[in-house]
Amino acid sequence: MTSKADTDKAILMAAFAKMDPVALAVAVGTVWALILMTVTAVLLIKGAPPDGEIGGHLELLGIYLPGYQVSWMGGALGGVYAWLLGAVVGFVLALLWNMTHYLYVVMIVVRSAWWRLMAD
Amino acid sequence: MTNNAFLEPGNDEPDQLNEKLLHAAIKLNTLLLAGVFGCISGLAMFVLTYLSLYRGLPQPGQYLNLLGVFLPGYSVSHSGAWIGLFWGALIGALLAAMFYRIYARSIPSQVQEYLQSGRSKDDLMGVTLRFDGNYLGLALGTIIAGGLFITTSWLVFRGTAEESVHAILLAQYLPGYSVSIAGGLIGAAELFCVVYLICRLFSWIHNTVALYRGRNPL
Repeated sequence: MTSKADTDKAILMAAFAKMDPVALAVAVGTVWALILMTVTAVLLIKGAPPDGEIGGHLELLGIYLPGYQVSWMGGALGGVYAWLLGAVVGFVLALLWNMTHYLYVVMIVVRSAWWRLMAD
Repeated sequence: MTNNAFLEPGNDEPDQLNEKLLHAAIKLNTLLLAGVFGCISGLAMFVLTYLSLYRGLPQPGQYLNLLGVFLPGYSVSHSGAWIGLFWGALIGALLAAMFYRIYARSIPSQVQEYLQSGRSKDDLMGVTLRFDGNYLGLALGTIIAGGLFITTSWLVFRGTAEESVHAILLAQYLPGYSVSIAGGLIGAAELFCVVYLICRLFSWIHNTVALYRGRNPL
């Protein structure tokens, strides 16, 4: 039999569980890198349309990722960029998530202490 | 219901989830996630607009300007960056809230798993989030696929489907997709499957790394 305190604690754990910034950075970075390398590879494998070049639009990513182009080497470079960018985004996201929870917990504790003080 | 539910007594029945506390926790996380994502997506739109303005040679914002089709008033300009900030924040917050509302359906099963594992002595703040790949895929897949269908339908209803030469490029990756209602549905179904699989992979990588680093996933 599980006590009510245990179930409440489990709910709070699920709600306030911290994100591991490193794990999220690795996961987001890896997924972004795989996506960019895959979309580049799909275009290269399909080849150029009869009246155009390969990946003219995707290559515009080179505006934001210097050196990126729709080629095997460009795809690998894009993968590195995407990994780094995804890692930074994942890391920052996890920090923000943890920080907002900490701030909220502090706010609740302070408010609770304040009302207890006022009641006394 | 207010967030004070964290401080209020719930039901007294053991073995049953305290619904009041659960809903308060979901509401709180929905607000926090909406706030965080609203800020990030608003700032991302702002930065991308300025990057395009100063690096988008030779015609700044030639493609980013197309977002104006979906975001009224947006363009790659100084004033457009602020309008993009507003739309980015609004849409980012709404999507994040919708995402968490769907994803939160995994919390009761996570709580049950935790209780059955007999780890009730764990430190309350010592546990790490464990992603549920199934619910993550359902939540993100629904939102992204829904987004594709809505934007495609918008292009059809405003009568510019024939001119949407950029949207049709998605058919390179989603066979059968076209700028039509039927094509939008096919594309959305395919995109849902792709996003679902990516989310399963993402969750597996995240949970494996967290476990490897000696964290204590819930």
